[in-house]
Formats: sequence, structure tokens, C-alpha cells
Amino acid sequence: MTAQAPLLIHVIAALIGAVYLAWRFQRIQVSPALGGMIGAAAGAVGSAIFMLPLNYCTFESERSLIDAVFGVLLIGIGMALVVLPVDALIRSVVMRRRNPNMGGTAQAGAFKGWLLPIVFLAPTLIVLTLFLYYPSLDTFRLSTLLARLGARRTLFVCVDNFTSLVSDGDYLNSFVITIFISAAIVVLGLALALGIALLAYQPIKGARIYRTLLIWPYAISPVVAGVIFLLLFNPTGGIVNYALDNVFGIKIGWLNDPTAAPWAVIIASVWKSLGYNILFYIAGLQNVSKDIREAASIDGANVAQRFFSVVLPLLSPITFFLVITNMTYAFFETFGTIDYLTGGGPLNSTSTLMYNIYEVGITNNDLGKAAAQSIVLFALVIGLTVVQFRTSGNRVNYGA
Amino acid sequence: MRKSFLFVVLAAMLALAVIPAFAQETVDVPVWIAFTDENRLGWAQDRAVEYNEMFPQYNVTVEGYANYEELFASTALAAEQGTLPAVVQYFEVATQDARDSGYFKPIAEAIGDRTDINGIAVNFDDFVGPVREYYTIDGVFTSMPWNTSSAIYFSNMTILDAAGVDTPPTTWAEIDAACELVMALETAPEYCWTFPNHGWFFEQWIAQQDEQFANNGNGREERATEVSINNDGSVALLTFLDEQLAKGYLYYSGAQGGDSWGTVDQAFSTQQVAMAAYSSSDTATYTNVGTDNGFEVVASFLPYNEVTGWTGNLIGGASLWLVDGLSTEVEDGALGFLLSINSTENAAAWHQLTGYIAVTTSANELLTEQGWFEENPNFSVAADQLAQSTITTATSGAIIGAFPSIRSVVTQAVDTALLTDEPVADVLAAAQEDANTVLEEYNLLNAE
Amino acid sequence: MATTTASETYPADYVEPVRRTLLPERWYIHAALWVICLIVGFPLFYAVLVATQNNSNVYAYQFLPGDQFENNWNIVMNLANLGNYMLNSIFITVLVTAGKTILSLLAGLAFVYFRFPGKWIVFGFVLVTLMMPTEILVIALFRFVNSIGWGNNYLALIVPFIASATGAFLFRQHFANIPAELSEAAQLDGANPLTFLIRVLIPMSMNTIGALVVIQFVYVWNMYLWPALIIQGQERQVVQVGLRTLVGADVGISFGPLMLGAVIASLPPVIIFVLLQKQFMSGFALGRDK
Repeated sequence: MTAQAPLLIHVIAALIGAVYLAWRFQRIQVSPALGGMIGAAAGAVGSAIFMLPLNYCTFESERSLIDAVFGVLLIGIGMALVVLPVDALIRSVVMRRRNPNMGGTAQAGAFKGWLLPIVFLAPTLIVLTLFLYYPSLDTFRLSTLLARLGARRTLFVCVDNFTSLVSDGDYLNSFVITIFISAAIVVLGLALALGIALLAYQPIKGARIYRTLLIWPYAISPVVAGVIFLLLFNPTGGIVNYALDNVFGIKIGWLNDPTAAPWAVIIASVWKSLGYNILFYIAGLQNVSKDIREAASIDGANVAQRFFSVVLPLLSPITFFLVITNMTYAFFETFGTIDYLTGGGPLNSTSTLMYNIYEVGITNNDLGKAAAQSIVLFALVIGLTVVQFRTSGNRVNYGA
Repeated sequence: MRKSFLFVVLAAMLALAVIPAFAQETVDVPVWIAFTDENRLGWAQDRAVEYNEMFPQYNVTVEGYANYEELFASTALAAEQGTLPAVVQYFEVATQDARDSGYFKPIAEAIGDRTDINGIAVNFDDFVGPVREYYTIDGVFTSMPWNTSSAIYFSNMTILDAAGVDTPPTTWAEIDAACELVMALETAPEYCWTFPNHGWFFEQWIAQQDEQFANNGNGREERATEVSINNDGSVALLTFLDEQLAKGYLYYSGAQGGDSWGTVDQAFSTQQVAMAAYSSSDTATYTNVGTDNGFEVVASFLPYNEVTGWTGNLIGGASLWLVDGLSTEVEDGALGFLLSINSTENAAAWHQLTGYIAVTTSANELLTEQGWFEENPNFSVAADQLAQSTITTATSGAIIGAFPSIRSVVTQAVDTALLTDEPVADVLAAAQEDANTVLEEYNLLNAE
Repeated sequence: MATTTASETYPADYVEPVRRTLLPERWYIHAALWVICLIVGFPLFYAVLVATQNNSNVYAYQFLPGDQFENNWNIVMNLANLGNYMLNSIFITVLVTAGKTILSLLAGLAFVYFRFPGKWIVFGFVLVTLMMPTEILVIALFRFVNSIGWGNNYLALIVPFIASATGAFLFRQHFANIPAELSEAAQLDGANPLTFLIRVLIPMSMNTIGALVVIQFVYVWNMYLWPALIIQGQERQVVQVGLRTLVGADVGISFGPLMLGAVIASLPPVIIFVLLQKQFMSGFALGRDK
């Protein structure tokens, strides 16, 4: 590639940044020229975030088109990472100036001094920096390497670890599997939990005992869930098939049939997280039934009508919250269950993204590819968390 | 008065605290093995206790890992931390990785020209020929043989007899024929036979057909740069397995690699199947499970492809590797333990307990003297199979980098061939490509 | 992780029993609940049963306690050395739970009762970590922890986990709902922030603390991937990983010892859960009705 190409990249990025921020500034009636200048700087910096460490390798002439496309994508993401926060920051500063009453909640009764809070927060900040922020950055660096533990050397491979994922059938397969298993855990888990919570939330005799008996699996670990269901689903001596065989005359290859094995993982996971979901639905229903008591308008509606037209919508914030936490559970915590129950098999039918990372990075000792897969999963989690924060906003409005 | 009493008490407590510190000044010798069962882990731990009693200056501790694959991964992790133990049990496919990583020191090099370690005699010549050769790499006796085995075949003769099959099958065609009779029984088992989907069996079955696993003389002349798992032998193998599955003869548990062993044990011991390919490592378990549950178990050579004939089988099993960079005391403690574990009595007892090949000539003589092999014919099958094998490049086994990862590519290919309708040749071609990528990347990082 | 914050938004502000319910109280609700409780409890119940059996009993579907408990106990405790794993797990879980609670209380205190420059940036800095599950970072974290010499060390299981964004937010939200008059009164009395925390805030936060303790105890106790990577050898390993030695490979799984191990490994979190159940449920706005 030519020496001017990097410069060209940043100039274009600066232009895009300038136009964007100038437009945004105009909308909040601040000088577009100022916006243009800040935007140009932010765009240039943003486009360099990934390209400088990568040394513009995605645009080298011997690289394929997909690498170049990926490079453009990285420039875009880098720009978004700088330009959008700058935009948000300036907007909030401007808004606060215009409307000084905003913000500053819970400031009444504050203690004096600024050193003390720093001391209180220091351990948390240090630990988070060293053990979360630093490894996150290092994961990005690792993802550009071909590296093995115990090897003589490591090689810089640009974005190969990412672009190779696109054509990796196993990886795409594990993407689909993760979505499928997660969706099933969420739908089944929440439906069952809601049904049970409808029975258990009421102030009937012995309610506390029922709740304890329903919620305790929360304290069981994913590993133990895997171990116990390994016994229940075992082809030899497995009691589930024994029961199915006696009652329906069928046997299911829970651990060796690729269509059944994901269900083994799903059932074990639903069982393990059921208590948690029931707990939240009971809390939600108690609030809802209070609301219903207050709302006279629904008199005369029958149980089903009341449930679908009133209860379910009122529960939606909590449902949304549980969808997110169960998705997170399905993404990460099922690892222990899968490792003991199916080991990702058969036919990779239970090899979720997280399990795949472990297989690639630890079992196969291919650190760079595992790091790249981690980052893709990371992006998914960020997406989920953004949704979670949106909904947590709803929850605050609804609850308090 | 009171003060001096207090002083005496304090002094006494101090002395008590110090004395054991002197007395316990032992050298820790941690040993990691890939067994967790009472027979094997328990046996090794008992040997460690004996050894520690004999040599109080050492404290050998034996820790068990769930399987070879996990131990292999843990070793790489521990090496990264600098927390390797003194001895690691590494399986045969990890040889190239062991060679490249520099984690280990050849046994012969550590012993040097000493003829004994703390009075335990060093006698490499006592190891039986094929075993000594197998563990000699680049002309140096490298790792200590311990659990050496071969892949053999176990038949539930009670079922076979009922079906009118007098002798265990020796070829694939005979398996098929026997299964037809077995599955026609009124009291037919659920399936006819099974095997662990472990890379080792794929390797055994293609070596029988004299097919190499990798280039450059199976990686023995020069560093292997390409695998050759897509060959006539492997196509024939997967086609055969696929047909057996389709006929309902073959039971496939879906478990791969280290997880697959247990599923076969379960199926055979509960008579869910009549026959099983397995490692000779469990000859004792397999024989006893029959005795305990009222059926007769006969071990035989691993059946081969009658079209190509039988060239020979691979040695398998793991060996004990000495970690490099130990202090002299720890190294000598470890060497002494490694030698004592293969003493005539121990080697013989280990064989009787499990079915692993008795690795020394003296142990074999002792066993023969006791009439062991005559009374227990199942126990000589693996050694006979190796002795009758023709040594070729193929039957010597492959030495290639990242072999454990390549094995999982192979077991996945077997998995795919059995569980999908994809043509066997396509599956193998894809697997070969994947395996070559793995190997290429490994060599990029490790080749000189 | 970020689960507990929800609880705070459902204040348990009603006391009298709810009369008008969605379903009337009938015998069949009790029956249905008992059946559901039995189904939910069955896997563990069966595991306890098998813990006293050997494989022959399991394969024979013997639904009665077997006589192999002692033998299984021997395998679990002597061969697999589960007791040692249990002690390790208890040790790190207690330390991490305590450390997390203390650091979270301090962080909550700093966020709610202080004004300091850059507060929102610090807040954002902590907030963002909610998006970084340790599971994704394990390989890089493994390299970092090794590079500072903590490989195969208890510190590697404790220190990276004692800071908790979840906990900090939980207390921040909880403290923010406590009337400002309290801290004003405390300041008039000349109390310093720590005294205020210990004398006023903590006694008012017992339910929240209880809920956090249960959640963190369970979370740390259940850690599996990270200890499997960073701890080699048995000396300092935790029980979730230690159970693998009971799965074994070369011989078929012995279900008796495996189930016994699984049951033993589940006892501490279940005990903590039962002991702190009241706080836990109150933390979730539950259990006020009788």
C-alpha cells in the first residue's frame, strides 16, 4: 500500500466526523463550526483506534477483500466509539448549563471532602482496572496473534482470526446453537416460572414452605446440574428413559442424538434457573395483584381475560429483565452444565459460543482464535447490556 | 517463679514447633496422572506411600486428572505459570508437543551414567523390545513406560455362543456376520457392538491397513507437515462403521475423546452390546465384569479390514515424563519413584490389576512362572498382538504437532460420518483440510 | 450479575394480606404446588438416593437406599480428596463474599454521600464493567495473573473478584432511597462517614446485605472455568473443578461417588440460602405476607 493511504483514511474519517457533529450541534443550537472542529478531531482519533495498533494491515495489497471490508468496519466502530460519547458528553454539558436543576440527585446530606470517597472507591477501581479493563484490552491484542502456550514464537496475523470465523462452519453452527439453546431456556424457563409463580404467590397457608421448596435450585451450581442430569439422562441406568420407556414405550438419545442433546442441556438449565425466575415472578405478581386491587375497572373480567389483558402487560418489565438475565445465563453459565453433561457433542450440537471458546483456546491451545471469538461474544453481550439498561430505566419508572 | 515457668512453657512450645519442622524436611515430588479410579489412581498412590516409607526424605504425592486431554491442557497452563510438578503422565500423541515445548528432560539424560538411584537399579535393557523402542526418541530413552497398551476386542461369549458364533470375529466382515446372528436372537441385546470414538481407534484401524497418518514417514523422518487422514483405509473404515450403525449393529454413544471410554464400559458391562473394541488397559475390568454378572468375556485381536489384510497394531497408552529444570533432590526423588514403579513386582502387579502390558522382561518371566497367562488368556492378547505386528512406518504410529487437536478433528469427522448423511469421502476431505490448518499453524509457531 | 438491582424497585410497601387474588384458594392449588415441588426436588432427591448405591443398583433402577454409602464416602473423601476441595471453596467463597460486601458498601457510600470531581466518570467506569463477564476474558486474565506471579495461588481466586459493580449499584440504589435527613443529623452529631456507615446505614441495610451475600456466595461457589484454568494440582483447587476427578475417564462413571460428591458440593450454598432466606426474600420484597 502507498504511504498516503493511512493519511487518506484519517482525512475521510475527520470529514465524516466533522459533518456529523456539525449537524448535531446545529440541532441543539450550538455553533456548527465548533461542532465541525471537534468532530474532525474525534473522527480522526476514532479511525486511528484500531488502525494504529493494526498498522493498517487490513488494507495491504496482498490481503483479501474481506479483510479490507473488515478494516472499514473497524474504522467505523472506532469512530463511533469516540464520536458518539463526545457528542453525548457535550450535549449533556450544554443541557445542564441551560437547565441547572437537572442531575445532582441524592446530593442532599453529602459529606464534605473529596479524598475520602476516592479512598473508599480506590480498591474497587484498582481491581476493576487490573482484572477487567486490562485483560479486555489484552484480549484485543491477542486476537491479532497466532499464539499457543509453550510455543517458540507468536505471529501477527492481522484480522485473520476474525475473518476466518465467517467461513468457519463449526463456528457459525455454534452461533445458531447458542441462539437456539438460549431462546429455549428463556421461553421455557419463563413460561414455567410464571405458571408456578401464579400458584405460589398467593398468601395461602404454607406459602413460605412452598416458596423455599421451589426456589432452592437457585443455590445449585451449573456443574452440579450437569452432573445430576448426566445421571438422569444416561443411556444406561438413566431414569428419564426408564420412565419414558415404561409409560410411552420410547427412548430418547439424550446424550447421543444431536437433536435431543440440546434439550438435555436446556432441561438441566431450566431446572437450575427455575427458582430464580419463580422468585422474581412472585415478587412481580405480588405488586401486580396490589395494582389490580386498586384498579376497579377490571371487575367482571374472567381469569383468563384478566391474566392476558392486565397481568401480563403489568409483568412485562420484570419479564424483560428476566429475559436478559436468562440470556446471560444461557450464554455463560451453561458452560459448566455442558462440560459435564455432553462435552459439546454429539455432532457439536451443544457446543455453544462459550464452550467453543474453551475448546479452541484451552483444549486446542489456539489463543488468538479464542480471543477473536471472545470479542465477538463481547459484542453480543454489549448489545444485551444496552437492552438491559434501557429496560432498567423502565423498571425504575415502574417500581419507584 | 511464675515468670520462669511461663518461660519454660514458651520455650517448650517453640521447641515443639521447630522439631517437626526439622523432622519434616522432606522433598516434595508431585506426580500428575490421568487416572481417577480406585484401581489405578489408588494403586499409584499406594506405591507413593510405599516409596515414601522406604525413602523418608521424599514426599511423593500422586494427583489424578479426569483424562489425558485435560491433563495435557493443564500441563501447558502449569508450564505457563511455572508450576509444573516433577512428573507428568503424557499420552503417546503428545510426543511432538513434548519435544517442542521443552517442558521435559529425557530420563536417560537425567540418569546419566549412574547405575542406580538411591540404590534402585537402573536397567533399561529389562524393558521388552517394542516398548523400549517406542519410548526411545531421537536415540534417547525419553520417558518412563508405565501404562502401555494396545487396542483389542472384547466379546461377550455367552451371547455369541447363544447366537451360534464360536469364536470372536477377527475381521470386519466377521463382525458383520456375527452381528447378524446376534441381533436375530430372541434375547438379542440392544445393539451388537460398540467402540470408543477416540482418535486412537481411527489410528489403529488405518495402521492395520498399513496407511500412514502423516507425511515425512509418519513424522518420524522429519517434522510432519501434512496429515493424510483422507486415504483408502479411512474411507473403508468410516464406510464400514456407517453401515454397521445403519444396520442397527453399532452402538455409538456420541461421546468423543476422553469422554468416550466410560460410555463403552457402561454399554458392555450392562450387556447392552455383545462386543466392544477397547483398550487392553481394562482387560481386568472387562473380564471381571463378566465373572461378576454371569457372562464369559473373551479378549481377541482388534478385527481388521479383510480386504487389505492385517499389518499390525500401534502401541498406545501414556508414559511418565520427567519435568525439566527440577532441583537435583527432586529429580532424584522422581527418578527413584519412576524406577520403583516398574520394579519386577510392581510391573507384574500393575499388569494383573489392569491389563496394561507388563513392560519388563523380568515381570513377564515372573508372571509366566506363576502360570498367570495360562490361567488368564485374555491378559496376553495385547502383548501377542504387538509381538505379531509387522513394524512399518504406519504401524510405528505418527509423531506430529498439535496431535491432540488433530485427534479431535478426527473424532468429529467420525461423529459427522456416523450421524449425518454426508458422504464419507467428503467428511474426510474436510477433516484433512482442517487438520492440516491446525498442523500448519502449529508448525509456524514451533518449527525451528 | 446485574440482577439484584431489580429487587430494590419493588418496595415491599404493603403489609396487609392480599384478599383479592387471581385464583381462589382451593385444595387443588395445594395439590398442584406439592406436585410441582416434588418434580423440582426430584433430581436432587434421586441424586441423594444414588449417593448410597453402586452402579448395579443404579442400572437396576433400585429406588431404595443402597448400602454403598460408606464405600462411596471413602472414594469421595480419600481417593478424590473432596474434603480438601471443599475447604478451599469455603475459604475463597467466604473471603470473596466478605470482601465484595465491604467494597460494595464503601463504593455505595462514596457514590451517594459525597460530591467529588469526576464522579460521573468514575460511575461510568464502574458501570461499564457490568458488560465484561470474566468468562470472556479468561485467557487474557490468565496471562495477566500469571505475569504478576499469582498463578496457582489463592490470590488469583480472590482478588479479581472482590470488586463488584453489581454490589456497588445495589447499595447505591438502596442508600439513595434512605432519607437525606439521616446523614444530615449524623453530620450534626459530628459522625464521620465510616461511623455513619456502620451505625446507621448497615443496620438499615441488613436485608440488602443478606441478599447480596446469598447472591455472591452462590456466584463465587459456582465459579468453574476460571479456577480450572488458573489453579493446577489439587492443593488449592475448588470443589466445582474437583468433581471432575469423580467423573473419571478410563472406567465408566461410578454414579454413587459422583452423586455423593455433587450433593456434598451443593450443601454450603444451600445451607447459606436456607439460613439467609428471610433476608434474601425481603431483599426481593418477598415474604411479608403470612
